[in-house]
Amino acid sequence: MHRVVITGMGAISALGHNASECWQGMREGRSAIAPLRGFDESALRVRVAAQVDGFDATAHFETRRLSLLDPVSQFALVAAREAVAQSGIDFSTADLAQHTACIIGTGIGGEQTHDASSQKLYAKGDTRLHPMTIARSMANAPASQVSIEFGIKGPTFAVTSACASSNHAIAQALMLIRSGRAVAALAGGTEACITYGILRAWEAMRILADDTCRPFCKQRRGLVLGEGSGMFVLETLEHAQARGATVLAELAGAGMSADAGDMVAPADTGAAQAVQAALDDAGLNATDIDYINAHGTATPANDPTETRAIHKVFGNHAQRLAISSTKAVHGHALGAAGALELIAVLGALNEGVVPPTANFIDPDPECDLDYVPNEARPHNVRAALSNSFAFGGLNAVLALTRI
Amino acid sequence: MSPSIQQQVLELIAKHDGIDKTVLKPEATLKDLGVDSLDAIEIIFDIEEHFDVTLPDRDPNFDTDSVQGLVNAVQSALDAKANAAAPAAD
Repeated sequence: MHRVVITGMGAISALGHNASECWQGMREGRSAIAPLRGFDESALRVRVAAQVDGFDATAHFETRRLSLLDPVSQFALVAAREAVAQSGIDFSTADLAQHTACIIGTGIGGEQTHDASSQKLYAKGDTRLHPMTIARSMANAPASQVSIEFGIKGPTFAVTSACASSNHAIAQALMLIRSGRAVAALAGGTEACITYGILRAWEAMRILADDTCRPFCKQRRGLVLGEGSGMFVLETLEHAQARGATVLAELAGAGMSADAGDMVAPADTGAAQAVQAALDDAGLNATDIDYINAHGTATPANDPTETRAIHKVFGNHAQRLAISSTKAVHGHALGAAGALELIAVLGALNEGVVPPTANFIDPDPECDLDYVPNEARPHNVRAALSNSFAFGGLNAVLALTRI
Repeated sequence: MSPSIQQQVLELIAKHDGIDKTVLKPEATLKDLGVDSLDAIEIIFDIEEHFDVTLPDRDPNFDTDSVQGLVNAVQSALDAKANAAAPAAD
């Protein structure tokens, strides 16, 4: 069985257009949640979001290609370019292209293309759609576009599990590389879900905060939508060492589970099962873990449920864990959430500092662990977990270790 | 005469599965009725569709407020709508 390491990372989110800006924002607890832009807000109850700001697609892509790129693919490509550049990997060498996988999670896919098409058809009565509407909007478009960009010819597909899509995608890449089916992979998640229709749908669930995102805090009022992408170069430890690559962390394990219960209400048992499975897969004991990047959506239901799950798995060690939810600063980017949060975990492992849970006011008695409120904390992080728990009761947890 | 707002709200709630109809009274809270917060969101949606009004996001409180609280919220929303429709009537 091969050991799998991460040698490159890239990101774009409301915090910035590259991984380093995103990590700085997380470390500083600088929330990028802001008044919603681009919509007639008098018609919406949604007040705030964590939107990618100042992104000029024409600075990144030729006009001709843009007709094929929904923002969900644009974000994935920008993050993938950064990850590949950092890693220094060259997919044109030997038969690496055929032995590299490209697996990208997305909760929704090309929603902006869908939304614009619906406007045209139903609001304007214009029946002529752009010929590339299907190719832009299909959920595998980001994976296909990234594969085309880098000439990656191994197993390439999309993974979709709502808010756990990124972690499920990265887990698939881990299993392919471990087993020898691939030597390397580009994996991560992407989402560009802030459309009028999607905002209305979230409004109807009455689950969005109207102020900001305050995970694990007594005054939390719900989640805040975000968007963006995180992408990673994974490869076998041997391959990374042979080419002299800088290793950011070992992807030591992944755990997945389904609640098989409610479509929207989370279950602590399903979450705990995935956390335990990640530890077992990584060959780690509960006491080895120093930091957990929590799912921490700041909904009334998630935060106490996740807290109970952590108690179940970690027992007495739960009180010694540093836990934070960086959704307070980059919002909930749904299918990109786990990938953006992996940037936080890699930062914590490499810099020995835990990013805070920003926007924290008072503790909630039902959330009784150490959530590193508001201020980053120096902390020797040797091993860490990243939790993602999705609607539909689908859970995926990654285990990372410093190498 | 059409049924009262209270009667209509009770009927809309009674349509949902798992409602304990023996305790379905105006003073009952949604919790008494065995309604969790996610069911409550669907009940509120039905009420909004039925009366063509939008109820506030955080008020009424789904867990602790009574059915009467919902009826009052519908009444205020209907009053607000009637006022908006006839601003010069008074």
